Amino acid sequence: MRQICSIAAACVLIALALNPATGAEPRPAPDGAHAYIIWPTDGAVIPGGKFWLRMGLSGAGVAPAGIDKPNTGHHHVLVDADMPPLDEPIPNDKKHLHFGAGQTEARIELPPGRHTIQLLLGDVDHIPHNPPITSRKIAVIVPQ
Amino acid sequence: MPALRWLTIIAVVASASIPFPTSARAQVKEAAAPAATKATRVPAPADAYVYIGWPNDGEVIHTHRFKVWFGTRNFGVAPAGVTKANTGHHHLLIDASLPPLDEPIPNDKNHLHFGAGQTETYVELPPGTHTLQLIMGDADHIPHDPPLISKKITVRVQ
Repeated sequence: MRQICSIAAACVLIALALNPATGAEPRPAPDGAHAYIIWPTDGAVIPGGKFWLRMGLSGAGVAPAGIDKPNTGHHHVLVDADMPPLDEPIPNDKKHLHFGAGQTEARIELPPGRHTIQLLLGDVDHIPHNPPITSRKIAVIVPQ
Repeated sequence: MPALRWLTIIAVVASASIPFPTSARAQVKEAAAPAATKATRVPAPADAYVYIGWPNDGEVIHTHRFKVWFGTRNFGVAPAGVTKANTGHHHLLIDASLPPLDEPIPNDKNHLHFGAGQTETYVELPPGTHTLQLIMGDADHIPHDPPLISKKITVRVQ
């Protein structure tokens, strides 16, 4: 019996070690908290495609990644991307930009064409809150 | 007898402090000083700055309650109490001049603290002309070096 228990315990430990998201429950979001994009405005035409994106946050605070404090998180910018899975860390690639130093502005460069931008707040472990704190998805147009 | 023992201890401590090199004594002094007068402020990069994204300077506002948006460039936001390089938290000065830069920013209705990492707030002001200015504080609410101060703007509430 004791052997079975230790095998079961070992399996649980291995499962926990293999899945980094397990054990890191999404942090609850404060009621009504939401992110918003101050600039650019939806539908803005941006010649050259280079701009400073200004990130707004209502009803919650900004904290760098790794800081575990209730009602805080850090910004992620989704560029031409759909909402990622909400129960695991937000991917870190050129379509999912992380601002783990607590930034509220980002220099963005986009090639000609129509692009979408959306904000998603991540918690201490880059996992979206529950419910997720997101902005409206906006479009920007970079002329040829 | 116990009194005599204490005297001996004090004498030993006093004599031990005499041969300290000047720099070592200065360090001891600094460590013993209260946080409010700490000599070294947390450094900030030269290109970091803060600004009021809204309202604009000279804005005429037709409601008593309005949103103020805090902007930061080349610098991050962190809640009060978090010690992390190149971060701080916002303080909004309303109808106030700059406080002393080597001590914690006062906490009153003219000096609002945003220690939860907020990047916006709503303020309610009576009709008239008012000034708004942002200043970042470190984990202990002390301005950085150089201080991160926004332009002081004027708004007219009607």
